[in-house]
Amino acid sequence: MELFFQFLSNTGFYLADYRHVIMIVIGSLFLYLGTAKHYEPLLLIPIGFGILVGNVPFFKGFGLGIYESNSVLHYLYFGVVTGLYPSIVFLGLGAMTDFSPLLARPVLMLLGAAAQMGIFFTLLGALALGFLPKEAASIAIIGGADGPTSIFLTAKLAPHLIGPIAIAAYSYMALIPVIQPPIMRLLTTREERLIRMTELREVSKKERVIFPALGVLLCCFLAPASIPLLGMFFFGNFLKECGVTERLAQTARTAIIDTATILLGLTVGASTQGDVFLTPKSVGIFLLGAVAFSIATASGVIFAKIMNAFLKEKINPLLGAAGVSAVPGSAREVHLVGQSEDPENYLLMHAMACNSSGVIGSAICAGILWSFLV
Amino acid sequence: MYGLQAIAAHNGWAMALAGALIVFSGLVILSFVISQLHRILAFFEKKPVDVEPPEDKPGFLLPKPFPEDINEIVRLYKPLVEALGETFYLSELYEMSRKNDFPHPHITLTALRESKILVSDGNGVFSWNPSTENDDIENVEG
Repeated sequence: MELFFQFLSNTGFYLADYRHVIMIVIGSLFLYLGTAKHYEPLLLIPIGFGILVGNVPFFKGFGLGIYESNSVLHYLYFGVVTGLYPSIVFLGLGAMTDFSPLLARPVLMLLGAAAQMGIFFTLLGALALGFLPKEAASIAIIGGADGPTSIFLTAKLAPHLIGPIAIAAYSYMALIPVIQPPIMRLLTTREERLIRMTELREVSKKERVIFPALGVLLCCFLAPASIPLLGMFFFGNFLKECGVTERLAQTARTAIIDTATILLGLTVGASTQGDVFLTPKSVGIFLLGAVAFSIATASGVIFAKIMNAFLKEKINPLLGAAGVSAVPGSAREVHLVGQSEDPENYLLMHAMACNSSGVIGSAICAGILWSFLV
Repeated sequence: MYGLQAIAAHNGWAMALAGALIVFSGLVILSFVISQLHRILAFFEKKPVDVEPPEDKPGFLLPKPFPEDINEIVRLYKPLVEALGETFYLSELYEMSRKNDFPHPHITLTALRESKILVSDGNGVFSWNPSTENDDIENVEG
């Protein structure tokens, strides 16, 4: 009988407290949103399941938890805390990205730069709320709307915040259809939303091959700390475009990125143990993340309107919202908002140009903030 | 420490301003470079043309010379005839010779008919007369 009670006292049912229950509810919500509502399922399902796994109460000292040095989860988490998984994800992203729209209309790259202003406004906000500079920079990067970049920078500057920052970043990426359209509509008039973009010129293969080499040199000379992200990103793109390594590019954009995404999502989810995750700081991070993402969207749209004051050929200001690096969610949202006003207005390819420049911009920002604060 | 005091104490204003300027200028430079990329490529691709002396090219396309040797004509047309089969319509052979950009297909087909290499089987159908291919051609030409 004593053995039975001892066993019972070691079960999750006995050890659970309200924080575990809250986190399990959040994990279940992620699984529901990903499965039933199709909100970023490739991200929310591994993270949601990771939250369930990470919040099963256990007896500390058995080497089970993600924060226990000899556990399997801890070994898998190594890829997060070292920034390994984000780099691999960037390799796959590069092998998926088609820079043709950006090469055809380089001026759209400025919208990708403008949308990064959300990062720097949030940096100020986080400092004002009492976060330490390294924590503030890690929170601010949520404004880039790039999960891997957020995880990478947080792993370097404030590893104790990886859980809440990763969850906030991915949550806001999944909530793009909810967050961005009201901001886009609020900041633009109907006439502006109806602006049609001219057809993009055809981009030569040589341009597409040269761009990744040129991009990595220019961006990484400017912000060498972004090499782990942009180096892999442009390398993946070069594999895709050079035409002689299609097999490698195919592997990078399928098996490699999928493996990294599974392990990244699962371990980030598992890192949200209730006792570590549910703190007032996490609430602050979530609030600031929402502010960062909203300011980033607004900055892009407002900058597009400013550009229109100087450009002969006007650009649709909705494109500014795609300057955040949530690929391809924000581009798709811009396209849908444009089509809701004019079903024959096709903004998707132009929005993808802003989106891909947003990826580059947020990775440069991460490199800059890292070099400022190490 | 909170508020503006915290921002100032942690050098927040400078970080935000410098960071924004760096990322902006970086992407402006990159966008400028890629906006010139196709021009630079076009420049280098045209360069060899500038180095070589310009050829005297006519303002219009001259018709291709008619092959005077009937053996040359047979050599050109034989693969087409083989592709068409044993019998074929003359219009089919004419179309194929045009698609293959053969010179003067109309005159050539007439020459082949006159030299009995193309033989009418009646009902507008023609066939290739193999017996005329070698020695007979020489005789016809002569």
